[in-house]
Amino acid sequence: MIHPTEQISAYLDGELHGQELTRLMDHLSRCGRCSADLEQMQFVRSAVRSLPVLELPEALIPEAEPVVVPLRRHKGMWAGVAAAAVVAAVALAAIVTPPPDEISLQQLNSMVGARSTLDPVFGPAKVSAFPVVEE
Amino acid sequence: MESIPLTWEEVARVYGRKIYNFAYRLTGNPDDAHDLVQEVLLRVHRGLSSYQPGSFEGWLWRITRNAFLDDVRRQKRRPTSPLPDEVDRWGQASTESADTEYARISLGDDIQKALLELPIDFREAVVLCDVVGLSYEEIAKAVAVPIGTVRSRIHRGRKILKELLT
Repeated sequence: MIHPTEQISAYLDGELHGQELTRLMDHLSRCGRCSADLEQMQFVRSAVRSLPVLELPEALIPEAEPVVVPLRRHKGMWAGVAAAAVVAAVALAAIVTPPPDEISLQQLNSMVGARSTLDPVFGPAKVSAFPVVEE
Repeated sequence: MESIPLTWEEVARVYGRKIYNFAYRLTGNPDDAHDLVQEVLLRVHRGLSSYQPGSFEGWLWRITRNAFLDDVRRQKRRPTSPLPDEVDRWGQASTESADTEYARISLGDDIQKALLELPIDFREAVVLCDVVGLSYEEIAKAVAVPIGTVRSRIHRGRKILKELLT
């Protein structure tokens, strides 16, 4: 008896069709050895497919377009944009609300609006418009 | 209709995780996988301007597996080294109960180690099928072999894995 061993994996992967599929089904109904082979291949296939999906290391994820750069890290033209945004935000806050004793970075972020949905694949970016920068 | 990423950054965002998983399962090493992804993205960056509309994924996976094979040839070494805390565990299977054995081989490390024992052609076919999720036709295009060869490599690879895992 010829045992269609290679067709067993193809069957598990949905890659067997037509007469090949019919012949394998017929063979499996009569062959204990190939039925056992089918179970073993199914187990191995499931084992490999159960390997956890690993996340791409952050170092390999390209940075999204910068909206505003950190206040104290001047990078070309964006530094001016950042400074202007801060001035505008503080001025707006002074007009709309009584002057607080101290404005926190969190408050600035909430006034100007933090970047939130730049990356459609990997979810919201984790940086805010005005991250705390260590001196 | 297949949409074609326009920049390498978009390729990295859309396909980066798949490429990394492919690279990691082939090499078994995060540093090698990291380097391989970087090399693939570099080749994508260089090649996108001359890319001809067609099967983008086929093109991408050809680049990816060629980068892997080039790395293997360049280093002239087996692409992996055994995990240091795994060495003794492979001689214990015969004394374990079925449940214990199942739990043991359910561990990703054991499966990973078994994958690394496969000849490269078989490992590549199994990983492209079971980790990346390509069809036999897609694998055949990426690896440039007939579908019958893909079928044979996947089955023979799984047979070896079965022997290694039980």
